[in-house]
Amino acid sequence: MPYRRLEHTSDLRLRVTGATREALFRDALRGLAAAMRPRQARAAVTRELALEAADATALLVDFLSEALALMQARRESYRDVRFTALTERRLVATLRGAAVEGFDADVKAVTYHEAEVAAGAGGGWQTHLVLDL
Amino acid sequence: MNEPPRWPLHAITPLLWEIPPSARADMRAPARVYATAALLEEIRRDRSLEQLVNVATLPGIVGWALAMPDAHEGYGFPVGGVAAFDLEAGVISPGGIGYDINCGVRLLRSTLTRAGVAAAAPNLGRTLFAAVPSGVGRSGMLQLTGRELDAVLEGGAQRMRELGYASERDLAHTESAGRLEGADPARVSAHARARGEDQLGTMGAGNHFVEVGYVEQVFDAAAAERMGLAAEQATVLIHTGSRGLGHQVATDFIRRMNQAMAGYGITLPDRELACAPFASADGQAYVAAMAAAANFAWANRQMITFEVRQAFARVFGPREAELELVYDVAHNIAKVEEYTVGGERRRVVVHRKGATRAFPGDPVLIPGSMGTASYVLEGAPGALAASFGSSCHGAGRRMSRTRARREASAAALRTELAALGITVNAGSRRGLTEEAPLAYKDVDEVVNVIHAAGLARKVARLRPLVVVKG
Repeated sequence: MPYRRLEHTSDLRLRVTGATREALFRDALRGLAAAMRPRQARAAVTRELALEAADATALLVDFLSEALALMQARRESYRDVRFTALTERRLVATLRGAAVEGFDADVKAVTYHEAEVAAGAGGGWQTHLVLDL
Repeated sequence: MNEPPRWPLHAITPLLWEIPPSARADMRAPARVYATAALLEEIRRDRSLEQLVNVATLPGIVGWALAMPDAHEGYGFPVGGVAAFDLEAGVISPGGIGYDINCGVRLLRSTLTRAGVAAAAPNLGRTLFAAVPSGVGRSGMLQLTGRELDAVLEGGAQRMRELGYASERDLAHTESAGRLEGADPARVSAHARARGEDQLGTMGAGNHFVEVGYVEQVFDAAAAERMGLAAEQATVLIHTGSRGLGHQVATDFIRRMNQAMAGYGITLPDRELACAPFASADGQAYVAAMAAAANFAWANRQMITFEVRQAFARVFGPREAELELVYDVAHNIAKVEEYTVGGERRRVVVHRKGATRAFPGDPVLIPGSMGTASYVLEGAPGALAASFGSSCHGAGRRMSRTRARREASAAALRTELAALGITVNAGSRRGLTEEAPLAYKDVDEVVNVIHAAGLARKVARLRPLVVVKG
């Protein structure tokens, strides 16, 4: 499973792994979208996104924060992403998903707490992510 | 995850414990915890103390980094934490306020009794659930954009008064009269505005609620009378904050400060502690944005008050809809205040993250979990000397949401609450079990620490009758 839910006293802690950087970012996005518990998907939507950050960890957290802001502001849920560019510190992406009626869970934020994008022991990439609920 | 480290803790009193600054080389002040030995053991089970030690490393910290008896692991700062920083040499840290800027509680008193509410409980629960939008995606009745939203960000609950949703009396019984000075809507991003513009008058989800209860016990008759509270009287508690607008302001500035910190020569053990000198342009930009979000939160609780009054009017008739405000107080906020520290008067910026202001004579509102009790306290002089005028903010979680869902079933919980005479209207079964009483510490034990430590005095204990949540 690309992401697993772990215990955290106040929030939701995810452990995300991916064979590639793209897979890590995509599965983290799916973990976030699932945690928001969207209600009743409607028409398909896409959103463009371009970001730069200081390092890979900040880039992932900022990417998810941007997706969260768009999901809540536009009432859309993104379950997939296609990257035109994805490097250590820069990305250009198209988010893909659907308009939704709303969300049952109020994910307040994607935090930097415990996040550390690193190469996994058996290859690939991994990180923890803590969502503020 | 690894086991949390065991920090050296010295008992200063049976209810106050200290980790000395020698415990870790980068500490600039001691870290202190208000707790019984039993609560302290619970607090030691997660990373709260490590987080508190991290707070004690921040530049310009004054006095101590403090944890209240309801403390639990957060991200960066622990929840239930208080820290004060020097205005010149110190920092402001958005994580020390939290993502839900000005999350807080307001208490209304009614002219009804417990019996009067109990007789109408199912109808009242349904009516409140319909009147106060919950979850994410149910819009509030006021949808403000552009200059109308700016006016709320600048004016807070006072703008709600101009719009006819608040009385002068409401404002007089709200912390800071429902408006922080210095709010600048231009510091609130387009994302933040977009997340918040249809959320005025909405509760959200998670641990936020509207709860109708009654005064089960009065501990201090004179203080209760001053607050207009008496045994068996029905009350309303509202717990929510600045919604998506505040969450986005925090996200924006934690990102910005992470980028700016190197320029100030600040290095930190956790990126969530991201901070900037209070007096810097980055620090002041956050202060202005935080004030705008705090004002949005006060406007939000005021709008919910209006909705609750309308619901009471529909169920009980207009005479019972007055619902006078006892008090409204924040528990996620930073404020500039003055204290005597080490014999010297100092102005400091106090960060309260999951901690309630407790000024002598002011009401302190402590919501418990939905099946137990909530408390009304009155701030005591001891808080000024020992906790930067602060108290706990709730029972405090002791269990993750995941574990609460595993251990509590929605059906059994409803039966259990019904047996206690509590009607619950919740948007989702999952949201209900995540907030099950077993997920929280014992609120009586938490509040008794605050009372016995002289930070605030117990005035009354409230029991829930009707709980409405997302």
